[in-house]
Amino acid sequence: MSSGISSWADAADDVPGTVVTSNADGTKTVVSYRNNEGKLEKITQIIKEVKVTEKVHPLVAQRRKWIKYGKERNTPPGPDTRTTQLGEKIELKLGTAWKEQEKEEEALRAQEAANIVSDQRIKCRSCGGAHFTSKCPYKDTLGPATPAEAQGASGIPEDDGANGPGKYVPRHMRRDANGNLPPKDMSRDDACTLKVTQLNSIVDETMLRSELFAKYAPLARVTVVRNKETGESRGIAYVTFATESLAERALEELNGKGYYSLILRLEWSKKKKT
Amino acid sequence: MRPIKLMGHERSLTQVKYNREGDLIFSVAKDSTASIWYSSNGERLGTLEGHKGTLWSIDVDSETKFCATGSADLSIKLWTVENGICVYTWAAPTPVRRVSFSPDNKKLLSVTDQVMGQLGTILIYAVNYDGDYSNQKAEPILTIPTRPDSSKVTVAEFSQDGKYIIAGHEKGEISKYDASTGEYIQSVQAHGIHNEEQTVSVTDIQLAPEDGSYFITSSKDKCAVLIDLESFEILKVYKADAPMNTAAITPLKDYVILGGGQEARNVTTTSENQGKFEARFYHKIFEEDIGRVKGHFGPLNTIAVHPDGSGYTSGGEDGFIRVHTFDNSYTEFYYDVERTERAIAAGTT
Repeated sequence: MSSGISSWADAADDVPGTVVTSNADGTKTVVSYRNNEGKLEKITQIIKEVKVTEKVHPLVAQRRKWIKYGKERNTPPGPDTRTTQLGEKIELKLGTAWKEQEKEEEALRAQEAANIVSDQRIKCRSCGGAHFTSKCPYKDTLGPATPAEAQGASGIPEDDGANGPGKYVPRHMRRDANGNLPPKDMSRDDACTLKVTQLNSIVDETMLRSELFAKYAPLARVTVVRNKETGESRGIAYVTFATESLAERALEELNGKGYYSLILRLEWSKKKKT
Repeated sequence: MRPIKLMGHERSLTQVKYNREGDLIFSVAKDSTASIWYSSNGERLGTLEGHKGTLWSIDVDSETKFCATGSADLSIKLWTVENGICVYTWAAPTPVRRVSFSPDNKKLLSVTDQVMGQLGTILIYAVNYDGDYSNQKAEPILTIPTRPDSSKVTVAEFSQDGKYIIAGHEKGEISKYDASTGEYIQSVQAHGIHNEEQTVSVTDIQLAPEDGSYFITSSKDKCAVLIDLESFEILKVYKADAPMNTAAITPLKDYVILGGGQEARNVTTTSENQGKFEARFYHKIFEEDIGRVKGHFGPLNTIAVHPDGSGYTSGGEDGFIRVHTFDNSYTEFYYDVERTERAIAAGTT
């Protein structure tokens, strides 16, 4: 050993013994010494002993002395934290009205949560208070807080990357590779779309494409309406044709015709302007 | 109250039991080891190792000398509680669903499952208790097979005087047999008559702690029923909103504790807040739902009440055991009628 102590046994010998003195008020002062890396440390503890007597059945007392076995063999006395832990506090409220009480508490909690949310929702852009910007009492004195925010207020998504990484721009509103803004009117052109109802539920998109509407190809889009959970067809499909005349032909030729034991009903997906 | 969580089992609990003094808790789970715990601090005394299959049931004798375990590996093992040594193994024809000592510790009851082409039976083994206990009689001294007009036995228990065997059946009936001759005495349709439920299998039988003159049975039909032992009449019915796996009667206070929750396969589809995984306290006489204890995050499979009524232990499908010690609100709760009655009684004396 580098510290000069030849062995731990010798080190223990150097440490003075523990001295216990009883005080007048019933406490005990324990002065002990320990060797901490060659340095002698003195520890003074004042201890009050409280005797707790617990009366148990003699058999119980005897059983407490049993030696542990099985998976617990050779484990130190006392509960092992791997298998035994103290749970969280539970209140057992007995009473016939416990259901109502619980409901009330729940309602209260929900109310509080709602309050927090509603507080957070309204925030003045000028002063940060809990009111609308237009109702801000300092509106005239402060003005719009920052130019960036003023732009945002105008309602036009001004843009992506340029404003820094802070603001999220939905994908469909971002500029394309050439730097052009996306077209404003995103509505689908449904002029060439037919709605097919009274379809047999076994009919799927490929059957519509390759069997029923094969001769009106090319088809821009074929969609069978399905139950979200089960995926089962609801007997309705939307078919978009390349041109309106093709769609009209399909409507005339197939409306009222049988397909998989059901009589088809075709109609324009959108009312035609007359 | 702050429950002690015991996490020694790796799979869902199947039964927990206190010994007579209530200082030890015996638990078995679907993993093949049984555990014995000190109830006061949750320290594990030891584990019983040797089974190779699911353990369905455990029981301890009245002197805490032996405990017996019934397993799906077609065996019943007898262990010394002090050192956890298996002293004897009985071979059973089919998986053992329930074991129970007779009150005099001389007999061991076991319920064997009706599978593998075998008839479900109640087997009674003689226990060589005081003599050379590693030398036991391998053959059962009594065999009670399923009656032809009835369904298989799911749970069974000795009455407190050891005269009868009470058995719960898969079709919801409870029947009484003579414990010495195995003779059928009477039965009562206790479950499946209170509502429209289809599964009515009896899941647990526990005797009244004071004198055993009545007992409680729980069933998958979402009810627990209190039945008088002698007359075999239905005394009380406790209705719940989920299949019940276990029921216990509390000493000291007139309560019963029910445990259950929906089937294990539906657990993942249910929110914990729906309150299906709570221990339910009912007033024994007024049949009213008076309180719940949360904590488990799976259905409760088994509940045992401390013999002195100071607490209870529950074991859940989640693999945890929770040891509860009641606080004052438990003992101080009375119905108004009970309070008046006590006041009158106090006034007259």
